[in-house]
Amino acid sequence: MKKQKVILFTTAVLAVSVAITMPMGTAQAGELRVGYTEDALTLDPANHRARTTQTIIRNMYDGLVTRDPNMKVVPQAAESWKAIDPTTYEVTLQNGITFHDGSPMTSEDVKYTFDRLTRDGAIGGQTSPRKSLVGPVKEVQIVDGRTVRFILSSPWPQFMAFLTLHEVVSKKFTEKVGADGMSKSVMGSGPYKLAKWRKGESVIMERFDGYYGGSQDLKPVGKACSETVIFKTIPENASRVAALLAGDVHIINDLPPHSVKQVENNANTRVMTVNGTRSTFMALNTQKKPFNDIRVRRAVAYAINRQLIVDKILGGKATLINGILGPDAFGKNKNLPAYEFDIAKSKVLLAEAGYPNGLDVTLDVTGKDKDIGQAIASLMTKAGIRTKVVVGESSQLTARFRTKGKPIDGQMYLTSWGNGSLDPVGIFVPTHRTNDRGNSSGYSNSTVDKLLDAANTETDQAKRAGLYSQAEAIVNKDLPKVYLWVAQDLYGVSNRLSGWQPSSDGRINLHDACVK
Amino acid sequence: MNFGKLIERLAQLIPVLLGVMVIVFFMMALTPGDPVDIMIGEQPISAEQEANLRHDMGLDLPPVERFIKFLGNAVTGNFGLSFFHRRPVIDVIAERLPATIELSLVSIILAILTSIPLGVLAAVKKNTIFDRVSTVGSLFGVSLPGFWFGILLLMLFAVHLRILPVSGRIGYAYEVDAVTHLLLIDSLIAGRLDTFANALSHLFLPALTLGLPMAAILMRVTRTSMLEVMSQDYIIFAEAKGISRTRILIRHALKNALIPTVTVAALETGSLLGGNMIVETVFGWPGLGRLVVESIFVHNYPLVQAAVLFYAVTYVFLNFFADILYTVLNPRVKL
Repeated sequence: MKKQKVILFTTAVLAVSVAITMPMGTAQAGELRVGYTEDALTLDPANHRARTTQTIIRNMYDGLVTRDPNMKVVPQAAESWKAIDPTTYEVTLQNGITFHDGSPMTSEDVKYTFDRLTRDGAIGGQTSPRKSLVGPVKEVQIVDGRTVRFILSSPWPQFMAFLTLHEVVSKKFTEKVGADGMSKSVMGSGPYKLAKWRKGESVIMERFDGYYGGSQDLKPVGKACSETVIFKTIPENASRVAALLAGDVHIINDLPPHSVKQVENNANTRVMTVNGTRSTFMALNTQKKPFNDIRVRRAVAYAINRQLIVDKILGGKATLINGILGPDAFGKNKNLPAYEFDIAKSKVLLAEAGYPNGLDVTLDVTGKDKDIGQAIASLMTKAGIRTKVVVGESSQLTARFRTKGKPIDGQMYLTSWGNGSLDPVGIFVPTHRTNDRGNSSGYSNSTVDKLLDAANTETDQAKRAGLYSQAEAIVNKDLPKVYLWVAQDLYGVSNRLSGWQPSSDGRINLHDACVK
Repeated sequence: MNFGKLIERLAQLIPVLLGVMVIVFFMMALTPGDPVDIMIGEQPISAEQEANLRHDMGLDLPPVERFIKFLGNAVTGNFGLSFFHRRPVIDVIAERLPATIELSLVSIILAILTSIPLGVLAAVKKNTIFDRVSTVGSLFGVSLPGFWFGILLLMLFAVHLRILPVSGRIGYAYEVDAVTHLLLIDSLIAGRLDTFANALSHLFLPALTLGLPMAAILMRVTRTSMLEVMSQDYIIFAEAKGISRTRILIRHALKNALIPTVTVAALETGSLLGGNMIVETVFGWPGLGRLVVESIFVHNYPLVQAAVLFYAVTYVFLNFFADILYTVLNPRVKL
């Protein structure tokens, strides 16, 4: 009797297991799936400040301008632009652009979009958190049905670079649905329209057959290749890799370096890389001993074998930097001297600085940088700079090191700064200008400040690049930070995928991507 | 059931909630890290624009003033806007809650259905091979880290065997009208067995990962309390009367032995309903746990406060529910 019940129970469990483990359907042709680390926070292009959200949204909303694979700013919905004077830019729209409901995009929509970004309380009482990304734009004037003029309150040479960060919304639709409607529905002019947003899980988009074709500078021009694209939220690295290997998704972002081999060894998948825009560095607290002494800072730089760490931990997928700017950034000084790995030199500098027997220091890192931190610490310890690695939580470390002028609480901080706009204003200024937001070394050099300020308003681009170049030469000498590398962004992709290239700005534009 | 007791419990809820609110609010406010800074990230901003953003998010006021304002709004059911989603936190939580409830319920059912029979059997067959194997098995169940076990299941069933999906709650091609927002129930209401099977296939691995440690704990509790009950006089008396073994086990022993199991199950249910960050992250499950943990990291105060209040209410009610169950299982127990 008892035995029968046990058998019955076991059979029932097995039956349920068999019922639910039905073979999974293969992906339909024309359906492209992306395993992405995060879900969109909102679908309103004006009401967020997250690059990940923008990456998803940008497949449904086009902007006036975008970037080509070399990160050059090119027109998208715009046909052309010109700077009339340092504070006036005129932008003309392409002919025949329509929103997903078939209504034409006009200069009214462009003006409305930027009014919504710049005016306080314009989003149902909230002010756009993207307001600062529009710079000193004071007003947008309508010239004719296809042409607008942006009037700036002061010269801002980065205007076109920052224009790539905004998408044009439909005035009619936005006024109809309001802020709440904009947060969960989409009326863009991009290659895909929203089919369904399953919050926390996936954003499902369908091809917009009335698409005007997109940027004339980015071939092929025309409607999108895939019928359906899905951004599937898979936050965990191992699960994202598993989804790629299982054929459940065709592109994954943020492929961890230690999974590169696994993806390369799989017959159906491969790795794609692109130069990233995030500079990794180790900030040294220049306000206090021992790092207020430039000789100690230089000793640290000579003690670290950067190439070894790149090869062993980052799988060789990073480019060394000798200043704050990445290799693709505007104004990058290509002639900066490197602090080549040299323990003897490091020890001499330490002795000169009064530490013949070495010294004890602490390196703060976040959990994700722990491996690199420990490698750096062991190299430094060999040179006599006995380094203890302390792992902390990101926002707490930020509060301790990025103090905007208040005393810094700590000695060394292994961190990084992203620069999606590829303009030095997005990275050089915050990390090196006196008391600025990302100045985690308490660095202050009035010459650097002056150069950065001058570059901020210099409209002659060649002169502007020269100013940044000069500033970078100074910080390379002063060494408030040990500049390490710009890691490549790693993507895992299916061999069935074609027509897609990763982009330095981290966007995943799926207009040309196809799945065979 | 005593209606007055329910009112009493509800009244007890007030100091609990107040205490929870004070603790959560000030812990969040005093933790280093600035939500405005986190939101701006690395993009440029002027000091004036930063100040405006701070004002917009209500963070320009001192913590005590903020707390009083928060309390005033919370009483009217207004928990404010999520800093990052820029929508009411109640809406954001409500979007994620059904996925967590569904996963929790299935895990609990799975755990109870396996643990109680196994626990009883282990007690009955005390010191046999079966008992030892199940005791060691339950030790494994409790000790296996969810993160590791989840990935292991994923690699086996989704990558190698390819018979279960990797992540998510339901296939893209499936759509079902939301009635309860629980996909299994909604698909049955709609009479869509294919959708039901698809939802179940997505649910299976996360529910197994989540249910296993719970089953292990419940099994051990059931076994211990069964052993205790089985040595009671009334069981020996029942045996002496010649009542069948099965009847004694189920009618007399199990009913009493279940009281500690119910307590533990209620507490475990409470923690499951809070969402499980690890399982939700591994399986890309769009639940509350992941949302709340992510919100803690980015200092999304309004969302964390509302979510913790929800947890507190859930716990109080589940405890109450367990108390009621005691009276059903053992009429000598009074509320």
